[in-house]
Amino acid sequence: MTLQVTVPAGPPARGTLSLRKSVDKLSDAELANLRQAFAGAMALDDDRGFSYFAGWHGEPFNWCEHHTSLFLPWHRQYLYYFELALQAIVPGVTLPWWDWTVSDSIPAAYGVDSRAPDNPLLVSQVRIYRSGQSEPAPPRTPGQNPGVPPLPYQDDWNQAMAATSFAEFQTAIEQVHDNVHVWVGGIMQDIQSAAYDPLFFAHHAMIDRSWRLWQTQNPGATPAATLLDNGLRPNGMTVRQTLDVTQLGYEYAGTAAEAPGPTAPNGTAAATPADASTQTSAPGPGDRPHTPSEGSF
Amino acid sequence: MQRWTSQPLPVPRHPQAPYARADLELHDVEHDGPSYHALVYFNQADADENTGRAAPGYAGSFSVFAHGRCWGDRGHCDPPAEPLHPFDRRHLHPLTPINITVEVTRALRAVAGDTIAVTVLAFPALGSDRPAPLRFSRLTLVTYD
Repeated sequence: MTLQVTVPAGPPARGTLSLRKSVDKLSDAELANLRQAFAGAMALDDDRGFSYFAGWHGEPFNWCEHHTSLFLPWHRQYLYYFELALQAIVPGVTLPWWDWTVSDSIPAAYGVDSRAPDNPLLVSQVRIYRSGQSEPAPPRTPGQNPGVPPLPYQDDWNQAMAATSFAEFQTAIEQVHDNVHVWVGGIMQDIQSAAYDPLFFAHHAMIDRSWRLWQTQNPGATPAATLLDNGLRPNGMTVRQTLDVTQLGYEYAGTAAEAPGPTAPNGTAAATPADASTQTSAPGPGDRPHTPSEGSF
Repeated sequence: MQRWTSQPLPVPRHPQAPYARADLELHDVEHDGPSYHALVYFNQADADENTGRAAPGYAGSFSVFAHGRCWGDRGHCDPPAEPLHPFDRRHLHPLTPINITVEVTRALRAVAGDTIAVTVLAFPALGSDRPAPLRFSRLTLVTYD
């Protein structure tokens, strides 16, 4: 399979981490790159394409894990492989997150945009991989499904983040996750079709970010030991290999920080975690990948 | 909207050990149909779509992010009753029933009596062709010291 990537065992990988950002903090250029990557993936009808990856989660492959002990690990590796597929089209592009703890609506980037009349982030069809089945997608119906509480879900998220074991956290955050799917409506409200909506990946980046944040608050709290060597469908990445996002090559802006090392000129002030989500950088002459010895993490 | 009310359950409390948390667990929840949202009430058998979350007895809510329509051929969405044989190592069928947990600590503490009847209102998502989506085998009320 051309997209299979194995996370190497042994010494930690060394390289520049990709930063996933809040969708509300993407620059115009970053949003354009994201749309270009999705459009490119949607134009591919093989195992590099959007329909193929949407089919991992729902129809036709149904490999996703819900209300099982593998919910968080499975979706982490799912986003990892899909993000690689996007990066093969637009190098450096990353999946943004939609923070529904503060937002009460679908991000503008995923809606009707007069500047992008063919916005690929606005779902238009469900095209089942290699089946010949293709149907127009019903529109999202945000907040219209009866009974579902309105966004934002700050209180529920806070309650999940207060969990003291992985199992308790996973159960609680999945329930918040379910509410968001049903709140969005359209094809997002059903497992079989949800990943055909590009908004799915912004929602799940938020879920994955939540796990990452919870991990920083609860170091060493992992899934049950008996699960750690379970292979996740379809590529066999193990649960253990999903535990450290930095070993998967990414981090969430806002949880990353950088400080100058002893060889930096004039003791440049360190960026704080809060600053990190808005920081910018540009490669200089002879720019090298960051390594721990250079003060990054 | 679908309404279901349980038989009265004894409140699991110990006089010398006040609980720190209470969970309502729904077992073997089927999710082969459309998604839905559900509201849970204690001792409010008459609750309906107008009762809301501020009413006495409101205990919590949950969504079931369900399968949706079946795109496969006949039998595609029928979980097998059991493995084909002892060497059947396939993953569980995606529609194997699940368990749902609703944290109900505050609502249970507000119950004055020794029993509760649990009422669940299920609201199918738009486009649903199943007016009564709520199906599960049993529920359990658990308190934690």
